[in-house]
Amino acid sequence: MSAEQGSPEPTQDQPERVAIGISFGNSNSSIAYTTAIEGKAEVIANEEGDRQIPSTLSYVNGEEFSGTQAKAQIVRNPRDTITSFRDFLGKTFEQIDPSPCHASAHPVSVNGGAGFVVQDHTEVKQPEKSTLSVSEVTTRHLRRLKQSATDYLGKNVTAAVVTVPSDFSDEQKTALSASAQKAGIEVLQFIPEPIAALLAHDAKAQIAAEGGPASEHQDKIVLVADFGGTRSDVAVVASRGGMYTTLATSHDYRLGGSSLDKVLVEYAAKEFLKKHKTAKDPRETERSLSKLTLDAESVKKALSIGGSASFSVESLIDGLDFNLTVNRTRYELLSNKIFMAFTRLVESAVQKADLDILDIDTILLSGGTSHTPKIASNLQSHFPESTIIISPSTSSSAINPSELSARGAAIQASLISEFEKEQIEESTEAVVTVTPHLHNAIGLVVAGGAAGKEEFSVLVEPETPVPVRRTAQLTVKDGGDVIIKLAEGGRSIVVSAAEKATTNGAADSDDEDDDSDDEPEENRSKVWATQKVIAEAGLRGVKKGGKIEVQVNVAADLSLTMVCREVGGKGGVRGVVQAARVELNGNAA
Amino acid sequence: PSLPDGWSAEKDFKPIDHLSAPISRAIEPVGPHFLAHARRKRHKRTFSEDERI
Repeated sequence: MSAEQGSPEPTQDQPERVAIGISFGNSNSSIAYTTAIEGKAEVIANEEGDRQIPSTLSYVNGEEFSGTQAKAQIVRNPRDTITSFRDFLGKTFEQIDPSPCHASAHPVSVNGGAGFVVQDHTEVKQPEKSTLSVSEVTTRHLRRLKQSATDYLGKNVTAAVVTVPSDFSDEQKTALSASAQKAGIEVLQFIPEPIAALLAHDAKAQIAAEGGPASEHQDKIVLVADFGGTRSDVAVVASRGGMYTTLATSHDYRLGGSSLDKVLVEYAAKEFLKKHKTAKDPRETERSLSKLTLDAESVKKALSIGGSASFSVESLIDGLDFNLTVNRTRYELLSNKIFMAFTRLVESAVQKADLDILDIDTILLSGGTSHTPKIASNLQSHFPESTIIISPSTSSSAINPSELSARGAAIQASLISEFEKEQIEESTEAVVTVTPHLHNAIGLVVAGGAAGKEEFSVLVEPETPVPVRRTAQLTVKDGGDVIIKLAEGGRSIVVSAAEKATTNGAADSDDEDDDSDDEPEENRSKVWATQKVIAEAGLRGVKKGGKIEVQVNVAADLSLTMVCREVGGKGGVRGVVQAARVELNGNAA
Repeated sequence: PSLPDGWSAEKDFKPIDHLSAPISRAIEPVGPHFLAHARRKRHKRTFSEDERI
């Protein structure tokens, strides 16, 4: 990926590679490692005790501060404090959106890219400021993270798996890789944030289900919603046998926790002006606005846990102190519009994936803003009851959403830290892209349902990468000779009006009406239908109430092997369906 | 469902149609199951061959 920078760091001694997981965000970063004995991922707290380390650097009298200490300097030292720089990496100055840096050091153009001008050295007599490129800033930040991890682990950290947004370009990755190299960190792999979150969640679920027979991975469609500080990203992922395929992503670069902070700032400022009629508006001077914003963030965090929280800012403006208690209900009312925007973003990702909300089995909430209980409850009411929402307020086993992606990165780091660099690259390039995914579900046509009608029962879900093998058992009630039909099936959404359709005079309300009329109590459900039968197999002389095991094997070339046998019986039927020839498809791709 | 009368096939198996054309998508190169997949693919092994090792 990146050319060797000829760094002075002794990365050559192969045997001792200490790898951690880094989640590097615009607002916060986290570092995590996996314990040697249990293999569990743990997030490392830095020397200040923070697990969510603000991605902020500040210079005071030539001394470098990072994390929470640096963030506090936004009030007194805004122009020498650098924030929100992750998304500037690898971009030209014209491409960046400088608005998150409004309260701190403003980005300037440095060699076409972004950079910052700060006073970072002690020469007080010569107050000449330094111009730092964004990659230099990133290097300094990563060096701090590396140092914290090294201190904690007692071993020199040399490598890391770093999480990046799913839409991070190759230029951005290259730039990040180079900055990390300079900080003495070899980036083993970049993994997308939503996938890292999912990996961390699944690893935990796996441990929880250990011992039981259900430790096998379920096939499910997971929507990972990463609600961050200044941006939010959503990804729809097909999880099949523990492998993940991203079906669609959507992004909002303005929506995040800082939008919620703004709501609180507005509210607090208005209340302040009500109390102090003659005072100046605290939003109009930079320092008081910064004070208010910092406090709003901690009020917001407190409201995710408790029912009420209070602002208290000393000498907000004109030497006046400010105290105000906010309860959660009021906050939720004020922020309602923004909460709805989160739901809309999630919905748009489902649409992009060409899916229905009924197709989503699980929603995994990640990112700091996901602590907000209202966001989870909004999603719960928007999605069908069958959808499982994983967040601290809806699921007791949920992992702290702020820690998910760092943990995922740590797990991945522990998996690949033994590998050679080339081995990792080889595995991540050619192999990944060329995997065909099944377009339709494969399943069995079974008797069942009402009036002995034939139904389709899914064996292999759509969007499953091949090769794949799935086994199912079915019970034959009557015994005797049976036919097993293997078929492809498609999913459709059936809308049936519920009982209460009395308000509308028109009894023959069609689909078109349903859309225009907003909420006419309708029941929507997912129905599978057989599309074409692939193969039939006959099994003779099955015992009454006997069980049949059906195994389906789809090879990489899409040929299919089916094996049917009675459990406990001998023999059975085995057959192969050849793959469709290329001429039949029409397109050789 | 029971076998219809007169149904017969060679070795009791009758292939009827082929699978539909697949969609090529990229798997995320993350997690233990992917690494197992990558290993199989690099060595061109099948599931059962992999299990034997």
